[in-house]
Amino acid sequence: MGRAKGLFVLTVTLLAAGLIYFALGLLHARGWPAAWPLGGAATACFFLAACGGIAVVALFYFACDRLRAEVRRLSASNPGQIAVPETGFVFLGRAMGELIESAERSIADAAMRAQELEIQLRVATAERRHAEAIIYSISDAVVVTDRFDELVLANESAAQTFDFELAEAARRPIDEVLRDARMIELIRGMRQSEGGSGRRVVEHVVRNNSPDAAPRVYRATLSSVAGADGSPAGVVAVLHDMTREKEVAEMKNDFVSMVSHELRTPLASIKAYVEMLIDGEARDAKTEREFYDVIQNEANRLGRLIDNILNISRIESGLVRVNRQPQSLAVIVKDAMEVIAPQASQKQITMTEDLTPVFYQTSADRDMLYQAVLNLLSNAVKYTPVGGSIAVRISVDETQKKVVTRISDTGVGIPPKDLPFVFDKFFRAEANNRMASGTGLGLSLVKHIIESAHKGRVFVESHVGKGSCFGFELDLCE
Amino acid sequence: MNDNKTILVADDETHILNVVSLKLRNAGFRVLTAQDGQEALDMALAERPDLVITDYHMPLLSGLELGQRLQESPATSGIPLIMLTARGYHLEPIDTRASGILRLISKPFSPRNLLSTVQEVLECLPAGVGGNGGWDL
Repeated sequence: MGRAKGLFVLTVTLLAAGLIYFALGLLHARGWPAAWPLGGAATACFFLAACGGIAVVALFYFACDRLRAEVRRLSASNPGQIAVPETGFVFLGRAMGELIESAERSIADAAMRAQELEIQLRVATAERRHAEAIIYSISDAVVVTDRFDELVLANESAAQTFDFELAEAARRPIDEVLRDARMIELIRGMRQSEGGSGRRVVEHVVRNNSPDAAPRVYRATLSSVAGADGSPAGVVAVLHDMTREKEVAEMKNDFVSMVSHELRTPLASIKAYVEMLIDGEARDAKTEREFYDVIQNEANRLGRLIDNILNISRIESGLVRVNRQPQSLAVIVKDAMEVIAPQASQKQITMTEDLTPVFYQTSADRDMLYQAVLNLLSNAVKYTPVGGSIAVRISVDETQKKVVTRISDTGVGIPPKDLPFVFDKFFRAEANNRMASGTGLGLSLVKHIIESAHKGRVFVESHVGKGSCFGFELDLCE
Repeated sequence: MNDNKTILVADDETHILNVVSLKLRNAGFRVLTAQDGQEALDMALAERPDLVITDYHMPLLSGLELGQRLQESPATSGIPLIMLTARGYHLEPIDTRASGILRLISKPFSPRNLLSTVQEVLECLPAGVGGNGGWDL
């Protein structure tokens, strides 16, 4: 407040106090109140109190005036936005209104901010649920832990792998949940690793509690999660089941090893006999002739072996085109029997047939089915001793719409322990090895032709010393 | 020099058995043949050959098992083995020592080279080997 205004306030105050004093003097002169003390300290106090009251009113007025001046200044810099009231009291009312408006605006802003925060929270929750859905839906086992080695998140696959209840696992220490000492150690080690972030891939074997279950092999990828300050905040472990992949790789290796063995065996004979002929080790014409026969037979065996391997591989990989047409099985079997007849008669083996009428037909690839029947007949002749017999029978089950072909022999038979494996690749019953040579692929090819290419079924029954019955079942044409 | 040496040949493949036997016989050896591991073991225990040539993969007893059985028996413990294999097996030294295997020959093989290997092995044998022990593996 300026000096002039101070003097003005002082003058007005003294004047007002003088007027009050004069008025009180007049009242006292008229006898009211009777005991009013118009002299001494009490009068002075009364006078000062009156001055003070008037000064407060004057100061309040000037404060409003000052406020109005300030608003005017603001109004000059923001024209049209703030109206300047003419008097302090009017302005005070307006200022109070603006204050209330401002407070209302703040409240509205806060509400808007709260709404924004709620939306952000909803988005974050949706994102978290999205991430959880991804984790829950993948087939690999996922385990997420925090800085205290407590389980934050895990999926059903992890629960199955480590055999725990998913619903009860959240926020529990991993050593209570996982019960897999090495995995716990790996997660702890990853969390404690220097730098607070990183990735490690290890092979991990999980042994199930069940003694019958085979251990499963996993590729475990452990990633350390760093917090905002760079310190370790947790670990994400993803376990991919490699058991089947390893089995397939092993099967491939075994197959290559078996093929290699089977190819080397006839090749070894060919190479050895050729060298013997070159070195003149066959010392007479008869021996020489025998050597040539061996070479020819082994070369043929090698050819059959390669054909069979290729045929099986083609069927297995689906590369072969199966040309299915309505075929009479009786005609196909008859053709195959004619081809095999000379070999059978060489061993004085009697062949009998009981075939269905030709109008019973099945949808089949003629060449493939012919090959399957020929393989079964050839085996029957090979493993039936001189003077034995082979019976071929086709029967039709009209109710089931099936046609069944059976080729029975009076051969050496197959031991029960070998029966489940006779259709496996390269399997040969040891006891029958000496009876005849073979590739160990003929029956496997039959199985592939009947079951993979024609959706039928192969079967075998056998009694050692009495004979075997190989057969297959196919659907009848509608 | 080969007249007094007996060699046992064991293989379930008749053609291989025949060709190896003929090569050795033509070279002057006395040759015994067996078509499975058990037959070879029985024959070796009875005849105590100077050398055994065996296939790895045989019915009843594999070549490796045959060698182990021969080394376990005092009567045949010194008999050396030459093993033929069509699978290219890698044998651990511990297995070859325990089975008395001195050479591993992969199929296809040369009968000519096999004969050289047989002669080389027999020449290195200490006196008295052939079922009487004395071969220090």
